[in-house]
Amino acid sequence: MAEAKIALTGRIDSNNAPRVEQDMLGQLAGLGQVPVVLDAQELQYISSAGLRVILRLKKNYPDLTITNVNSEVYEILEMTGFTEMMTVEKAYRVVDVAGCEEIGRGANGTIYRIDQDNVVKVYNNADALEDIQHEREVARLALILGIPTAISYDVVRVGESYGSVFELLNASSFSKILAQEPEKMDWCVKEYVDLLKKIHSTVVPAGKLPDLKETVLDWARFMLDYLPEEAGKKLVAMVEAIPHDDHMIHGDYHTKNVMFQNDEVLLIDMDTLAIGHPIFELASMFNAMIGYSEMNPEQIIAFQGFDAETGRTFWRKSLAEYLNTKNELKIQEVENKARIIGYTRMIRRSIRRKGMETEQGRAEIEHWTGELLELLARVDTLMFSRNELEVEAIEENLEQVQAFVDEQLEAADCSPKSQMQIGLAVEEIFVNIARYAYAPEKGRATVRVEVSDAPVVVTITFMDHGQPYDPLAKEDPDVTLSASERAIGGLGIFIAKKTMDNVLYEYKDGQNILKLKKNL
Amino acid sequence: MLKINKNVEAAKAVIALEGRLDTVTAPELEDDLLAIIDGITELVLDFEKLDYISSAGLRVLLSAQKTMNKQGTMKIVHVKDVIMDIFEMTGFLDILTVE
Repeated sequence: MAEAKIALTGRIDSNNAPRVEQDMLGQLAGLGQVPVVLDAQELQYISSAGLRVILRLKKNYPDLTITNVNSEVYEILEMTGFTEMMTVEKAYRVVDVAGCEEIGRGANGTIYRIDQDNVVKVYNNADALEDIQHEREVARLALILGIPTAISYDVVRVGESYGSVFELLNASSFSKILAQEPEKMDWCVKEYVDLLKKIHSTVVPAGKLPDLKETVLDWARFMLDYLPEEAGKKLVAMVEAIPHDDHMIHGDYHTKNVMFQNDEVLLIDMDTLAIGHPIFELASMFNAMIGYSEMNPEQIIAFQGFDAETGRTFWRKSLAEYLNTKNELKIQEVENKARIIGYTRMIRRSIRRKGMETEQGRAEIEHWTGELLELLARVDTLMFSRNELEVEAIEENLEQVQAFVDEQLEAADCSPKSQMQIGLAVEEIFVNIARYAYAPEKGRATVRVEVSDAPVVVTITFMDHGQPYDPLAKEDPDVTLSASERAIGGLGIFIAKKTMDNVLYEYKDGQNILKLKKNL
Repeated sequence: MLKINKNVEAAKAVIALEGRLDTVTAPELEDDLLAIIDGITELVLDFEKLDYISSAGLRVLLSAQKTMNKQGTMKIVHVKDVIMDIFEMTGFLDILTVE
């Protein structure tokens, strides 16, 4: 069926709307119910009177398209919901990025500054209109949910590709700041992590964003063909065990995608936005700061503009800030979990990009696989909590365990005496686990610190997968005996019981669980 | 961290402790005591700068007390309140001589 093409020109408002309507109906007279295309190339403005004309037309000609819409008119059509009621095709401005400064680079495109106030993100995919639409939608969602981000206001043609244009004034990426003003490292860490925490505490309504767990599961399953059977199965099982999490993750949170603009920290490159457990985010952060350049230090300089040492320092400091700890064991624990997913992703990516066919590719794949296998041998879960420390249960780790508990108690306004008693009970219980839970083998233990309000109660929970053993079942030592009558030993649990208000034991799901409670 | 300051003159030994007497540091004190205790008839432990003691520390004290019961006297001086509490709770106040 032939279509009817009608040109709209100039301004359409209440002054000329009736005439425009008559004119259009005249052009369509006798054609029957044909598809109608309104060419808006020459249209500069349309008021609500003009919009009503189009609505009436749409009633009689349901197959109605408006094409070549300039950005001002598009804004009106979008604001009034017309873009959802009918097909509206924009007229694309042409932008040339030759010689423009590259200010950001993400998985799907590169961002250039086109003038003082504006940047354009040029998509790698030549057929990117859907990607652009997707990114606009997720950016808008993020903004509504309180995440500071830039939303593109125009789609343009850049050579054979599409680009989306954002307003970004006087903005510098954190990569640029780190490269040019290394003394701002700690400030960058703080701002970068504050925004990260904000993202991770944002609950996303169901169905609005993809679940990154599905993607990571695909990566893990891919590895089944490249790892020894046991290790591959363990990897998949560990990813499967990560609980569903409906909090937001950015998905590509590195320092080129975080901008500083007019005293505000702003997130860009939103197309990877997803939901999931924060360990997925930490994995991609590890890769960007360390992983990709682990074997090739030049890579990070080319990509981020700063060296591998800066990347490593920034990652470590950010992780410490994110976990709110200075505890080296805690940082290492979470880093190791992030590395497992990070290496998995990089190995798969490299293999799919024919990394096996180059010498450097093979060397990287071999190195990453070696690291991954070593980690898989000693890490049992990818989950972590900020108030939990998971360590090898050996006496050498006692000091770090106590320091971790102290750090967690800092906010609790604990008296020095209570703090000392808690430290003491922690020592007695942890040493007990280190000596007996897995003997003569070794194993791991988790320590969790919780502080409740009103009444303020500190609860410290120890969990291990060792022999089922209830230390409370043992009879208390007789403290009235003389030195020669008293046995050496048996005092530790007794001290814990005496200094705490409550000590509870249970064996559940293959774990010894011992809780110490202290009222403050 | 534990600092051990030993002062041995003939049959008298004064050992001043500073820091923490816990699972990690108690073996150090145990080794030091073992090295000097032969022939000592008067052992003084100065706890003025000791901030923390756990059952591992108590065990070392108990075994030193048992040894000294056979060969002389042992006393502990300048004990802080937090450590006094532990001595009291565990019945060690009755076993040790605390000044």
